[in-house]
Amino acid sequence: MAALWQYILGGVVDGAIFALVAAGFVLIYQVTGIINLAQGEFVMIGGMTAASLTAGGMPLIPAAAIAVVVSAAAGALAYLLAIRPARNATPLTLLFITLGVDVALRGLALFVWGTNPYSLAPFSSGNAIVLFGGALPPQALWVLGTDVLVFGALYVFLRRTTMGTAVRAAVANPPIASTFGIPLRTFAFASFVVAAAIGGLGGVVVTPIPGVEYDAGLTYGLAGFVAAVLGGLDSLPGALVGGFTLGIVEHVAAGLLSPGWDQGIAFFILLLVLVVRPQGLFGRAARRA
Amino acid sequence: MTVETRAPVTLNVRGVSMRFGGVQALEDVSFEARSGEVLGIMGPNGAGKTTLFNVISGLQYPTTGSVLLDDVLLTGRSVDRVAALGVTRTFQTPIMFWGLSVQESVCVALTAREFGRAYPPRPDRALVPSGLGLPARRRDDAALRARADALLERAGMTHMGRRPTESLAFGEERLLELTRALAVDPRVLLLDEPLSGLNPDEIAEVLRLIAGARADGIAVLLVEHAVGELLSIADRVVVLDYGRTIAEGAPAEVAANPAVIDAYIGDELE
Repeated sequence: MAALWQYILGGVVDGAIFALVAAGFVLIYQVTGIINLAQGEFVMIGGMTAASLTAGGMPLIPAAAIAVVVSAAAGALAYLLAIRPARNATPLTLLFITLGVDVALRGLALFVWGTNPYSLAPFSSGNAIVLFGGALPPQALWVLGTDVLVFGALYVFLRRTTMGTAVRAAVANPPIASTFGIPLRTFAFASFVVAAAIGGLGGVVVTPIPGVEYDAGLTYGLAGFVAAVLGGLDSLPGALVGGFTLGIVEHVAAGLLSPGWDQGIAFFILLLVLVVRPQGLFGRAARRA
Repeated sequence: MTVETRAPVTLNVRGVSMRFGGVQALEDVSFEARSGEVLGIMGPNGAGKTTLFNVISGLQYPTTGSVLLDDVLLTGRSVDRVAALGVTRTFQTPIMFWGLSVQESVCVALTAREFGRAYPPRPDRALVPSGLGLPARRRDDAALRARADALLERAGMTHMGRRPTESLAFGEERLLELTRALAVDPRVLLLDEPLSGLNPDEIAEVLRLIAGARADGIAVLLVEHAVGELLSIADRVVVLDYGRTIAEGAPAEVAANPAVIDAYIGDELE
């Protein structure tokens, strides 16, 4: 029982980062209708930038801030150079374009940072936190705190500000919103920048736990995508629940069965959810193409 | 409530034609609409009225011809850009933003109006301060909500502010759609059958709002099958039939025009 609890705690930590990546998927999908397969690369860019800057002697806080800005800039460039010129393309074409962006960003990371893994010191020192017999690394609290901060900020922006209301209107009915002068392209650009910044922030806070290397974005992207689909691609609460569900299921499966089973079980559950509820746990059925 | 004084504008539709495959939806349609007037647009089903609105609002580009607002060419611009220049519209079936309350729906239009004043909007001036919850932006938000409440009061919808739009009856949706359009502070307002499906009280309310828009200096283009109401509120009328203009003039002149009676009014009155 103690072992199971430990698996669950481990899953919570992974789930927290999956939820952040899933939030990026959902934001971009809601505003643009595009599934951005490059979302995981922003996590890698954030982690690599912060790790390499601190390795060079820069203090953590400015290194983290620069890492988030670099990730956001990568998101901005991805939109301006790859998505916007092809904005009238079919959803399938746009999906492949984001796959191309993913490969390009990974290649760029290989060119800049090489194949060596990078690490980042934990933000706070101290022993592992013991919780009902299980243990959490102190860095896990930073990851969970980031989730609270990001999802809380998104909630306040979308529900409590008039600008967020305009974003919700653009999500609810883009053609009608544009007849009022709502600038859908600006919103699309902003969604890429914010999603990339969230990914970059996630990369900074999670890197002290597993470390990071140039191809880490693939794993984060895949997990974030599964979490987003599991929760419902058009639901931020769904991203949160999907992220944690996936993290816990992966860890419990790996712990109780075998380390090789984690992703297999996760994908099986994803398929099960999609068969029973194709729109995901919290998604709305029959959205726009 | 402060009413801003704005220079009058003229919407100029010049030789607009629209062809869909073998169908000529509009053929060389030309007219002007000026600030502070209601221009009625009449015609039987399929006459091209909605296509004309689509062309003016930028939803469709004409095969030939152009639309100008004073000297500014609207044709070829995106829908949001046309709206930012001051042309907004409603649809035959009111379309709500599901998930938003009535007050929020009006706030969306007021926010869009802010965008229209500095188009294209710069994220650093609007989205970022809002995203960061800066105090100045929070004050702007509060002012915007107060303005939305004032507009709802003007439309007699004060008590509905918190209701989700999904809960509105058809007539209430029509009123909200019109209030939302007026909140953008348009210079030209295109109304596509705003009276259809309404009861007499609701029709009177919508006509009152249209008259108010005219008094505020908005050029109102009104497509409507309720001929009596249209003739009663319009200052001038354009009649379309099979995509062509068959009459234009004062309501009484148009109503007495044999070609119009033959093509449209006779059928409607029967």
